[in-house]
Amino acid sequence: MAQYYPGTSQVAQSRRNFSDPEYELEKLREISDEGVVKILGHRAPGEEYKSVHPPLDEMDEPEDYIREIVEPIDGAKAGDRVRYIQFVDSMYFAPAQPFLRSRSYLNRYRGVDAGTLSGRQIIEARERDLERISKELLETEYFDPARTGIRGKSVHGHSLRLDENGLMFDMLRRQVFNKETGKVESVKDQIGKELDEPVVLGEPLDEEKLKAITTIYRVDGEAYRDDKDAVEILHRIHVSRSNGGFCPE
Amino acid sequence: MDIEIFPHRILGSDTTERLLNEIEGLEDVNRTILQGPRLAPESPDDDPRYAERRIITVQGKEIELKVKAGRIFVDLSEESTIDQIREICNEILTFGFDINIGTYIRTQKTVTDSIKYGNAELPDELIGMNDQYSMLEDRVTYIQKDGNDS
Repeated sequence: MAQYYPGTSQVAQSRRNFSDPEYELEKLREISDEGVVKILGHRAPGEEYKSVHPPLDEMDEPEDYIREIVEPIDGAKAGDRVRYIQFVDSMYFAPAQPFLRSRSYLNRYRGVDAGTLSGRQIIEARERDLERISKELLETEYFDPARTGIRGKSVHGHSLRLDENGLMFDMLRRQVFNKETGKVESVKDQIGKELDEPVVLGEPLDEEKLKAITTIYRVDGEAYRDDKDAVEILHRIHVSRSNGGFCPE
Repeated sequence: MDIEIFPHRILGSDTTERLLNEIEGLEDVNRTILQGPRLAPESPDDDPRYAERRIITVQGKEIELKVKAGRIFVDLSEESTIDQIREICNEILTFGFDINIGTYIRTQKTVTDSIKYGNAELPDELIGMNDQYSMLEDRVTYIQKDGNDS
């Protein structure tokens, strides 16, 4: 069995769950295909995918063994553009966090490129594959409408205090809380362009649920130091790395 | 003496209104400053469902709320008032808060103040009541309290 992450805490277990491609993530909400396309903002809903011209079949491509060995993903087969979706995860018990996202994306999806920064995480893939992946990311445990932001730019806010209604700070106010319905709605696409109609992202998860699925160690949740196993493995890696890198003349 | 109320979440307009009403109701409170991220200016294109900027009523006085309250500075005379404020906060700020004692409102005129107001005499209670980029009349509201201004 693959060993994805050490530790006995709930946080460690959640990290293992996300990283394990065999583990089926809980579906928490329903977002339409059209809604996902709108939020991404790469094409208008219903519009054809922009692909290479002439089509790949009519192109003379150079001989390449890799091309024969590897089955291309749908988007690559069609010659789609590479597009992206970027998430920002609040430090206040967001379900996922950037490093875990990268680790789990690469375990779960083929033909993707993941980029990790301290507060945000981007995934790039061929357009039609990206839409499929985005839908999965938005509908499952990866996402919480309040603590996770879909932000192509102006990502600042993951470490700021939350709003009173639990929403993470967003300078472009893309995801807003509708007081009447109690649901979070996306009124702009990921780079802040206004949408004609808001896309309903659903109710924010409650604090207990978030603490149960979070992958973030926190002193006011589960502290990293209390997870003895995880700390022990970290120490072992640290010592091995130091000894391995130590090279006296 | 000044205190800083540091809520663990950024306050919305309803909670800010409730909190200010309670705090301003205390006899000993002289000045109160809200500090936090600015609310976007009102625009006719705004969807009223999501609008956050509104007029709040504090002790009968209408005030346009321009910021989301991230920190609240209160100028007091007596230390015993802090306990009363703590009780108010316990009731309203259910998600947690800190109260710190210190000097949060400056007490001396700055060079910017001199440039803005010239040689005019600036009353002590107005020093430090707004930031250097804005004018006093846009920021400061007087609330009458039994003969005293606050």
